[in-house]
Amino acid sequence: MRDCLIVGKTHAGKTLFVLNFAQYLGLDNVDLIFKYPNGLIEKKTYSIAKARRELVGPIPHTTRALQTVSIDLPVGKGVKRCFLTDTSGLIDHIHSDVEVRRAIAQTLGAIREADLILHLVDAAAVGVSDAPTALGEVDYQVAQIAQMRGGYAILANKMDLPGAVSGLAKLKLELPGHRLFPISALYKRGFREVKSYVQHLLC
Amino acid sequence: MVKRVERIKYAQLDRIGVLVEKGELTPPAALASIRKSSESLIPPTATNPGSPLEKALAQLDGLVGLTEVKQLVHEIKAFIEIQQKRAREGLANEPLALHQIFKGNPGTGKTTVARILGVIFKELGVLSKGHLVEVERADLVGEYIGHTAQKTREQIRKALGGILFVDEAYSLARGGEKDFGKESIDCLVKAMEDHRDDLILILAGYREEMEYFLQANPGLRSRFPIRIDFPDYSLEELLEIAQVFLAERDYYLTPGAREELARQLLVTQSLRHSGNARLVRNIIERAMRRQAVRLSTQPNPSRDQLMAIERVDLEGGVAA
Ligand SMILES: Nc1nc2c(ncn2[C@@H]2O[C@H](COP(=O)(O)OP(=O)(O)OP(=O)(O)O)[C@@H](O)[C@H]2O)c(=O)[nH]1
Ligand SMILES: [Mg+2]
Repeated sequence: MRDCLIVGKTHAGKTLFVLNFAQYLGLDNVDLIFKYPNGLIEKKTYSIAKARRELVGPIPHTTRALQTVSIDLPVGKGVKRCFLTDTSGLIDHIHSDVEVRRAIAQTLGAIREADLILHLVDAAAVGVSDAPTALGEVDYQVAQIAQMRGGYAILANKMDLPGAVSGLAKLKLELPGHRLFPISALYKRGFREVKSYVQHLLC
Repeated sequence: MVKRVERIKYAQLDRIGVLVEKGELTPPAALASIRKSSESLIPPTATNPGSPLEKALAQLDGLVGLTEVKQLVHEIKAFIEIQQKRAREGLANEPLALHQIFKGNPGTGKTTVARILGVIFKELGVLSKGHLVEVERADLVGEYIGHTAQKTREQIRKALGGILFVDEAYSLARGGEKDFGKESIDCLVKAMEDHRDDLILILAGYREEMEYFLQANPGLRSRFPIRIDFPDYSLEELLEIAQVFLAERDYYLTPGAREELARQLLVTQSLRHSGNARLVRNIIERAMRRQAVRLSTQPNPSRDQLMAIERVDLEGGVAA
C-alpha cells in the first residue's frame, strides 16, 4: 500500500495538512501532480511556502483537483516512497456551482478507490453546529466507507483554536471506535503520531 | 488485468458521479450508495469483475466520446431484452434485424465498438460465439468467376456465430455491374438470410461513400436497419484519449507537452480524416520512444522523469 487519500469537509485544512506534513518530513519543495476532474493532468513544482500561499484557501472549495505529492518515509534502513493525495472538500448539500459538484464527484471516485484514508475534521467547528465545517452527514458516511479499507484514521484538526478541545470530545462521541489523532495542521502538532501510523500501514 | 476491473468500477461510479455532478444527489447520499454497491456488487479489492455483459458495457462506457453510439447500443440491448420477454409472454415478436452500417472516418472507434457489440450480443443470447471477423474487399472478391463466391463464403463460414465486419464496404460496389464485388454483395445478402439467427453483418466505411453505396443498392438499405454515425473526435476528446492512453501506461504529459500535442492535433484536424484516435496513439507511442532515448543518457532518472512526457519528446513529429 503506498497511496494515502486525504479527505474531509471543505475548509477542514486538508491542503494545509498535506503541505505542512510534507515539510515536516523534510521537504522544502514539492512536485505536485494535479489531476483535474476533466481528466487533465499536470505537474507543478512549488516551494512549500509558495504552495501554502497559493493552494490553501481563505474560502471553502479552494481545491478543485486531486493533488498528489510523493513523500519518502524511513522504513528500516531505507526509505519507502508513498503518495499523499489531497482532494476537493466535501459538503452535505448540493452545491449550486457545477464546477464544485464536479470536483466533489472526483473526490467521491477517489474515495471509492482508496486503501488508506485520512479523514480531516475541523475540531474547532465541531462544537458549533451551524458552522459549515461542523461535523455533518458526509463525515458519518466517510467513516462508514473508510473503515472497510486497509487503513482509516480521523485527524481532528485545528486543535490550536478555542473550542477545539470540546469539539474533540464531541467527535469521540459522534464517531466512536475509530483511530483518532488530534492535530494542528497550522502548527504541525500531532504529526509524529500521524507519521508513525502512516509509516506502519504503508510498509 | 487490473485496468479492466478499474474501468468497470469507474463505469459504475460514473453513474453516481454524474448524478452528483448534475446536482441530483448529495455527497453523503452518493457515499452511501457507493458503500452499498461495493458491499453487494464488487468488493473494494475486486476479484469478481462482474459478468462479461457488464464488463462489455463498462468497456463501452469507458470509451472517450461516442455518446450517440453508446446510447444506441443501450437501446439495442434494451430492445433485445424486451423482445425476449415478449416472446416468453407469447406476444408478437419483432424479428431482430441487427445488421448495421457504421459510418465514419478511420480511427473513430468503429472496430472497437463492433468487437464490444459481439460480446454483448453473445451474452444476450443473440449470437452463439460473438467473435469478430474483420474483412475488406480483397478478402471477399476474387479474380475469376466463382472465385468471389468461394472467398466470400469462406469468410462467412469463419464469422458464423459472430460478426462479419466489412471495412470500406462501399468498395464492393466499385467497378460497376461487371465487377466481382457485386457477386460478393449477393453472396453476403444470401448469407444474411440463410444464417439469420447466428450471424450479424456490419458494413463500415467513410460517411459519404457509405451513403452513396446504400443509395446505389436500395435492396441493402432495408436489410441494415441500424446505422451508426461515428463522428470525428474533438480536440478535447483526442487529448483525453492521449491522456488515458498514457495514464494506463504510467506516463503523463507535462503542461508543455500537452500544449504541443494540442497544437499538432489542431494542425492535423484541418486535414480530412484526421479526428483520429489512431493518429493520437502513433504520436504518443513515438513520444514514449523519444522520451526513452532522451533519458537513456541519464544515469539515474527519477520516477517522475520516467513518467513525464515533455514537450521535446513531441516536437519535430510530422503528424499527418
Ligand atoms: N488555526 C488553524 N487554521 C487552520 C488549520 N488548518 C487549516 N487551517 C485554516 O483553514 C483554512 C482552510 O484550509 P485548507 O487547507 O485550504 O482547507 P481544505 O480542507 O483544503 O479546503 P478546500 O480545499 O477548500 O476544500 C485556511 O484558512 C487554513 O489556514 C489549523 O490547524 N489551525
Ligand atoms: Mg484544499
